[in-house]
Amino acid sequence: MNSKTITSVGIDIGTSTLQVVFSHLVLENTAGYFSIPHITFVDKKILYSGQIRFTPLKTQTMLDDDAIRRIVHSEYERASLRPEDIDTGAIIITGEAARKENAALLLNSLSGFAGEFVVSTAGPDLEAVIAGKGSGAQHISQTKGICVMNLDIGGGTTNIAVFDSGETVARGCLDIGGRLIRIEDGRIAYLSKSAAKIASSCGLSLKPGDVADMDILRLVCRSMTDILEQMAGVSPVTPLLHEVKTLGSAAFVMPNAVQAICFSGGVADCIARSDEDPLRYGDIGPLLGEAIGQSRLCSSFNILRAEETIRATVVGAGSYATTVSGSTISHHDDILPIKNLPALKLNQAEQERCYEGDSAYLAEKIRWFLGQNDTDRMILAIRGERSPSYARLEVFADCICEAVSAAMTPGAPILMSLESDTAKALGQLLEFKFGPDRTVVCIDEVHVEDGDYVDLGRPLMDGMVIPVVIKTLALG
Amino acid sequence: MIDSRLIEQIANAVLAELSPRAEVLSAAPYANASSGQAVRDITSEESRAEILIEAPCDPDALVRMKKRTNARIGVGRAGCRYNTQTLITLRADHAAARDAVMTDINQKVLDDLKLFTVESRCGSKNEFLTRPDLGRLLSDQSEIMIREKCAPNPDIQIFAADGLSSTAITANLPDLMPSLLIGLKNKNVSIGTPFFVRNGRVGIMEPVAEILGAKVTCVLIGERPGLATAESMSSYIAYDAKTGMDESKRTVVSNIHRRGIPAVEAGAYLADLLCKILRAKASGVDLRKEG
Amino acid sequence: MSYKSTLFGRTYTFSSIKEVLAKANELKSGDILAGVAAGSDLERIAAKDALSQMTLDTLRQNPVVPYEEDEVTRINQDSINEVVYDSIKSWTVAELREWILDCDTAERDMQRVSRGLTAEMIAAVTKLMSNLDLICASAKMRVRARCNTTIGMRGTLAARLQPNHTTDNIEGITASVMEGLSYGCGDALIGLNPVNDTVSSVSEVLKRLNDIKNRYEIPTQICVLGHITTQIEAVSKGAPADLIFQSVAGSEKGNRAFGFNGETVREALELLRRHGNSAGPDVMYFETGQGSELSSESHYGADQLTMEARCYGFAREFAPFMVNTVVGFIGPEYLYDSRQVMRAGLEDHFMGKLSGLPMGCDCCYTNHMMADQNDLENLSVLLASAGVNYIISIPASDDVMLNYQSNAFHDPSAIREALNLRPIREFEIWLEKMGIMENGRLTRYAGDPTFLLGKGA
Repeated sequence: MNSKTITSVGIDIGTSTLQVVFSHLVLENTAGYFSIPHITFVDKKILYSGQIRFTPLKTQTMLDDDAIRRIVHSEYERASLRPEDIDTGAIIITGEAARKENAALLLNSLSGFAGEFVVSTAGPDLEAVIAGKGSGAQHISQTKGICVMNLDIGGGTTNIAVFDSGETVARGCLDIGGRLIRIEDGRIAYLSKSAAKIASSCGLSLKPGDVADMDILRLVCRSMTDILEQMAGVSPVTPLLHEVKTLGSAAFVMPNAVQAICFSGGVADCIARSDEDPLRYGDIGPLLGEAIGQSRLCSSFNILRAEETIRATVVGAGSYATTVSGSTISHHDDILPIKNLPALKLNQAEQERCYEGDSAYLAEKIRWFLGQNDTDRMILAIRGERSPSYARLEVFADCICEAVSAAMTPGAPILMSLESDTAKALGQLLEFKFGPDRTVVCIDEVHVEDGDYVDLGRPLMDGMVIPVVIKTLALG
Repeated sequence: MIDSRLIEQIANAVLAELSPRAEVLSAAPYANASSGQAVRDITSEESRAEILIEAPCDPDALVRMKKRTNARIGVGRAGCRYNTQTLITLRADHAAARDAVMTDINQKVLDDLKLFTVESRCGSKNEFLTRPDLGRLLSDQSEIMIREKCAPNPDIQIFAADGLSSTAITANLPDLMPSLLIGLKNKNVSIGTPFFVRNGRVGIMEPVAEILGAKVTCVLIGERPGLATAESMSSYIAYDAKTGMDESKRTVVSNIHRRGIPAVEAGAYLADLLCKILRAKASGVDLRKEG
Repeated sequence: MSYKSTLFGRTYTFSSIKEVLAKANELKSGDILAGVAAGSDLERIAAKDALSQMTLDTLRQNPVVPYEEDEVTRINQDSINEVVYDSIKSWTVAELREWILDCDTAERDMQRVSRGLTAEMIAAVTKLMSNLDLICASAKMRVRARCNTTIGMRGTLAARLQPNHTTDNIEGITASVMEGLSYGCGDALIGLNPVNDTVSSVSEVLKRLNDIKNRYEIPTQICVLGHITTQIEAVSKGAPADLIFQSVAGSEKGNRAFGFNGETVREALELLRRHGNSAGPDVMYFETGQGSELSSESHYGADQLTMEARCYGFAREFAPFMVNTVVGFIGPEYLYDSRQVMRAGLEDHFMGKLSGLPMGCDCCYTNHMMADQNDLENLSVLLASAGVNYIISIPASDDVMLNYQSNAFHDPSAIREALNLRPIREFEIWLEKMGIMENGRLTRYAGDPTFLLGKGA
C-alpha cells in the first residue's frame, strides 16, 4: 500500500463569513525501496468549495448555532458527503466569533457532522499560519526562498504570518477588519471596541447611531492601515499598535526583512476595485481595501497574488491543519483516535534530567500538570535526542516508567510525542516495561509546544503513521 | 597469475601503510573533543555548518540553503580551487572512509555482544575487494563452527558482517542489537545464535540460512562508505534464503547511522519487520506484493 | 580456427576471437573476475599482436554475442553503412589504428569511417592504443549534438550540474543547483539522480528544475535520471523533461536487467517528439560503464571493454544529446585502482566518439577503490585535453546521495582556465549577463549561491 487518499473538511466560522471546504489529501510513502518508510502528504486538492455566507448571528456577538448547523448540513449534502466519510479536518472559529460561549455552542451543534476526527481549533496565531498556507504565501516563500508576509484581513481581525523560505518566522493578530464598523441606512449600526479606540486616536468619537460620514470612515481606515504598516516595519510604531493587538496573540517580532506581501481574507478582494459603492456590504471592508491599496504596504513591497483570498483560512484549515507523524512509531490501535490531549512539554534541561533517570522530578511534574489541567490524560512531549545509545534510552524509559506509575492513575495510557526519530525504539521499550498494564502510543517527528493540545487520529497506511492535529487552544 | 599477484602486492603495501594509523584512529573514532577546551576540529558539525564565503549577498539565505541539504555548499573558493579548510576536510573524510573499508572490526564490540567470528573464503581485504564471489561463501572451517555453535532451525537468524565498512558495525551494532532483541522478546519467535562474519558480502546470508535451516535470515552489514559518513549500516533480510536466489527477494533497510536512521530506532523497526516477514513467508518484491 | 602470435620464440595460441579480444585488454580486475584476462603480461601483448593482424571483416562476422540472440548486436550490425564498410573491411586492426592516428586523417574522414565500424572493431582498435594514442585520436574528433543548446563545439568544456540530495528534498536540490550555477556549471545539463523513482517525485523535481531554468532564463537542458519507464510516465502526465535518461548495457540481456530494451527507448523518443519540453532534435541521455554486464551476468564471456563498445553501438541508433561513462563508480572488482580507471576513462571516451557519440565522462571513484581525488582530477584534465564534451560536477566533489566522488563545481572552471576552454556559448553569454563570468573567467561574485537569488524574473 503505497498511497492513501483521505478526505478532509475545513469549516471556517469568522466574524462576518462562514464557509465549508472539502478536500482530498494524498498520503504517499516517498521513501525509496531501500529505506525505512517515509510517509508524507504529496497532494492536496479541493473536492468541493461551499458558498461564502454571512455568519448567522443571534446578537452582535453571539453565533446562531442552529442556523450554522443547517448551513453545514446543507454543504455536506451538496458535496454528497456524509460525516462518516470524513477522515480529518478542522473547524476554525476566528476573530470576534471565537468567544468561549460561541465555541461551546458550536461544538455541541456541529459534533454530529464533524466525522470521527474533526476537531475544533482556534487561536489567533495558528489561524495566521493556516491562512498564510491557504493563501499560497507559504508556498511562494518556500519555492522562491524569500521572506513573505501574509496579511489575512477578515471581518474582525487581521492575521499576520511571516514565512521565510517556507518556515514560519513570525505570527500575530490585530483587531483590524472590514466589519468592525457596520453601516445600516446611512448610519453606524455597530462599532467594535478596537474601532472605537482607533477612531478616538484620530480625535473622533464615533458611536452607533451616528451618520456614516465617508470622510470620517476613510480617516479611520487610513489609521487602521497605518497600524498594518507599523507591523510591516514601514511606519514608526505608535502605542495604538499594542492596543489593538488581539487578546491571546503573541508578541510579534519580525526577525527578517519582508521581501513581499500577500493579502488574503475578504478585504483582499477590495484592494483593487474602487468604482463600486463603498458601502455595498454594509461595512467598511471596501474602504479599508481602498486605504490599503494606497498605503505603503503596496508601494514599498512586491505584492504577490494570493491563490485564495477570502477562502484562505478555510482552505488552510482543510488542507494544512493535519500533519502526519513519523513513519516508525509505536502505537496501540485500540485507543485511537484520541482528541484534545493537553501537552506537557519538557524543556531541554528537564529532558536531560529524565535521560539521566530523575524519575522523582518527572513524577512531580506530571502530577502538577494533571492537577493544573484537571485531567487524567495528557501527552508527554519532548524533543528527544537524535541518536541516543541504547543504554541511555533505557534509562530514559525506566524514568518515564517510574514517574508514570507514581503519578498517573493505574491503567491510564502513556502517550508521548518526540521530535527526534526515536519513537519506535522508545515505545517498544516502554511497552516491554509496562507489559499489559498500560497502552503505549509513542509518535515522532512532530513539533509540540507546552500548552498545545493534540489530537491523534486513527492510524493510516498499514498503521505506519498517525494523523496529528496540534492546536493552540482546545474547545470543549 | 602474475597480474593478480601484482595487485595483491600493491594492496598489501597499501594495507601495511594504512593499518597502524588506522588502529590509532579506531581507538577514538572521530570523537568530538568537548572536554571544555576549545579544540579546533574541522570535521566537527559546527565547522561543517560554517559558511566559508567571505561576503555572501544574502547570508541568511545561505544559512537556510545549507540547512536543506547535506551537500557541501557555501564552501567558497581560492581562485578556481577549494579553500584550504574544505580541501583538508574532504581529505579527512576520504581517509576515514578508506579506514572503514580497510581496517578490521573492533574486537571489543564483538566481545561485548558475545559474538563469535567466522570468515568468508576471502583470505585478505584485497581478495575481499576484488572477489565478491568469494565474499559470498563461508570458509570450510567457518561452516563447521556455525554448525557447532548455533541453534538450528530458528525462526529468525541474525548475524553481522563487516562488508565494506567495519566502522559501521563498530558504531551501530552495540545500540541496534539490544533494541532489536528486546523488540523480538515479546513476540514468541525463536531467535538463532548471532555471530559475526569477517570479509563477508550480503550474499553470504544464503549459505548461512541453508546451513542453519533458518526461516528468516537477517544480515547487518557495513555499507560502502561515503564522504558524509563512513558509519552507515544496512540490513538485508530474506525469507527462506537459498543460494542463487534473486536479489530482488531481499528486503533492505539502509542508511542506519547517527545522522540517518538512529541505531536504536532501526533495531525497533527491524523487530517488527522481521516478524512481518516471518508471518508473510515472503521478503523483497514478494513482500511488497503482499503488502 | 585459432589465432597465434609468437614473441621471444614462444607461440601463444588463442582459440577464439573473443579470447583474443579479452586477452588483448589492458589489465582490469573485472576481466580477472570474469576469468577472461590474459594470464601474464606477455600473453596480453601476444593477444594484442594477434589482434593487430585481424581484419575488420573478421570482426564484423564474429560479434561477441550472436546476431540472432541479441538486439544490441542486431541494432549495431544493421546500422552499418555498407558502402563505407566495403571500403575498409580488408583493413587490419593495425591499419585502422594507424589510419586514425595519421596526420592526414581529418575529423570528417573519421566521421565517415565511423559509419562502417561495428562495436567489436572499435573495441579492437582501442586495445591497440596507448593512453596518449587515445588522447590524440579523441582530440581530432568532436561530436556535436543539439537540444536547447549545442554541445561539443571545439574549444568548449561543459559540465552537467548534478544536485543530488539524500531525500530528494526540493529546496535542498535547489540549493545545490544555485551553488553549481554560481560556479558556471550546468551548461551540459542540470540533472538529478533521484532517490525516489516514483512518477510523483520525479515530476516534482522536473517541475522545480524547469522553474529555475525559466525564472533565470538559463540556456540549458534539464533531466531527472529516474528509470526510463518512470520518466516516460512522468512526461506523459505532463512533467517538463528536456531529455530522457537511461543506463545502457552492451547486451540485450544486460538491458533487460536494467528493465528496458530498444523498444522502450523508441517509445521515449516518440513521446519526447510529441510532448517533450526541449527544442531538440537530440533528446536522449545515456550512461554506461565498464563492468555492468558482468555484474548482471550478461557479458557472454566477453571482456568488459568490448561489452562497453557495444553500449555505444546501441546508443548511436538513438541520436543522444549526451552519453557518458560513469567510469569509477562500479568498484574495485571491475576497475581496481586509479590506473585502471584512468585507462578505462580514456578508452570509453575514445570509443564513444569513434562511434559518433557526443561523449562526456563522469570521472569518479568510490571509497573502496585504490584511488583518490588527485587521480580523478588527473583524469578530467586528460579528458579535457582529449576534447571531452562535458564532465559531471557536484558540490565539493562529494555526492551525498550516490556516495561517491566526482568532479567538484570548482573543477570545470579550473580546467577551462588551465586549458583555455569555455562553457557552451549560449550559457557563457548567460553567465556574463548574470555577472558570474567575464572573458571566460569567474568574477568575484562566482561561488556565492545567493548571488543569483534576487536576479530571477
